[in-house]
Amino acid sequence: MKTQHTSIFIISLMVLMLLPKTSFSQKDTEKKADTLIVKQKYGLRLGGDLSKLVRSFIDDNYTGFEINADYRLTKRLYLAGELGTEERTLSNDYLNSTTKGSYFKAGVDFNLYKNWLSMENLIYSGFRVGASTFNQTLNSYTVYNSDQYWESPYTSTDSQKFNGLTALWAELILGVKAEVLTNLFVGANVQFKSMINQTQPANFENLYIPGFNRTFDSGRFGIGFGYNVSYLIPIYKKDKKIAVDE
Amino acid sequence: MKQIFPYKIILFLLIIIGTWSCERDDICAESTSTTPHLIIRFYDINNQTTLKNARNLTVTGEGATEDILYNKTVDSIVLPLKFDSENTTNTTRFVLEKNTDYRLDTNPLTNSNVDIIEVKYTPQFVFVSRACGYKAIFTDLQISRDADDDNWIINTEVINPTIENENAAHINIYH
Repeated sequence: MKTQHTSIFIISLMVLMLLPKTSFSQKDTEKKADTLIVKQKYGLRLGGDLSKLVRSFIDDNYTGFEINADYRLTKRLYLAGELGTEERTLSNDYLNSTTKGSYFKAGVDFNLYKNWLSMENLIYSGFRVGASTFNQTLNSYTVYNSDQYWESPYTSTDSQKFNGLTALWAELILGVKAEVLTNLFVGANVQFKSMINQTQPANFENLYIPGFNRTFDSGRFGIGFGYNVSYLIPIYKKDKKIAVDE
Repeated sequence: MKQIFPYKIILFLLIIIGTWSCERDDICAESTSTTPHLIIRFYDINNQTTLKNARNLTVTGEGATEDILYNKTVDSIVLPLKFDSENTTNTTRFVLEKNTDYRLDTNPLTNSNVDIIEVKYTPQFVFVSRACGYKAIFTDLQISRDADDDNWIINTEVINPTIENENAAHINIYH
């Protein structure tokens, strides 16, 4: 009797000892992902458009300046905006006009690019609403006459100024921003624009709109581009968990 | 394992941007209606609704060296108007020579008949497009004929005092 009890005790003890072991081995077969935590910088990125600055120096008919900023909201979403001023003289055989004014654009950028580890480059698509107030001066014009029978077509050199012009448009942006030095980014983008509303001068037309770029006779669409240099001011850091497969 | 930032995409974008800056030249299409001509039609003085050809007509702008029309029998003419200011009355005079062939031939008994018309109008400049710029239109059209011993033009009439297009005649000449 006593030996029987002893053997039951030993057996059950052995079973008890085995049980957790089996459960342990089961836990081990559960695949647990290894995670890597990377600090991501969140902050305000401030910059300027380099192409406008360079063009102001080399093109006599252009003066422009733009500052831009974006603020990181989430992992992929940025609040973005631009503020600028432009002066542009357009001339052909029949018209010579100067547009001068400033503009403001606001919207969001969405990063489409999945970065490796701690890199924070962007290939982004953005949306903006742009608004501009400007004036246009018609410096001179030559009346178009397909018939050259009477020589020397009439040219008017009385400059006419059209003040208080406004325009509102929407843009789709496609661009890249690459971190070349710590916190320093360079980028390029193309902007596809669609005019929503504009005030046209009487007996003339908005040939150029600051921020919108030149207009087209064919419709309300426009295109623009920018080369940016910007600096990120990190405000806080947030963990980014990256799962690493074995 | 090193991830490379897709510089190819950047390069592609730069190329797109670069080529776009070469904007196409804006050329004023010929089909665009720009500064219109003055259209005159010739009618029969005896039957004023019937067109009547002006025989062997030569038309020259007064002061110009070239002919607008030379020795052609036509029932209508298209004339370019001269202008050098906006919103004031401008004048162009045209020399209309009928039977040009009679002057050209060797017969001293026959000769052509030269009449001069004077057209007055007020030009206005209207914006067309960025490529064409401005065109002129003409309002308050008036016509008079210089009287001489032997006028072949008997009567003139402005039927459309505003020259905005070339779709219809602006002046009728009865002869």
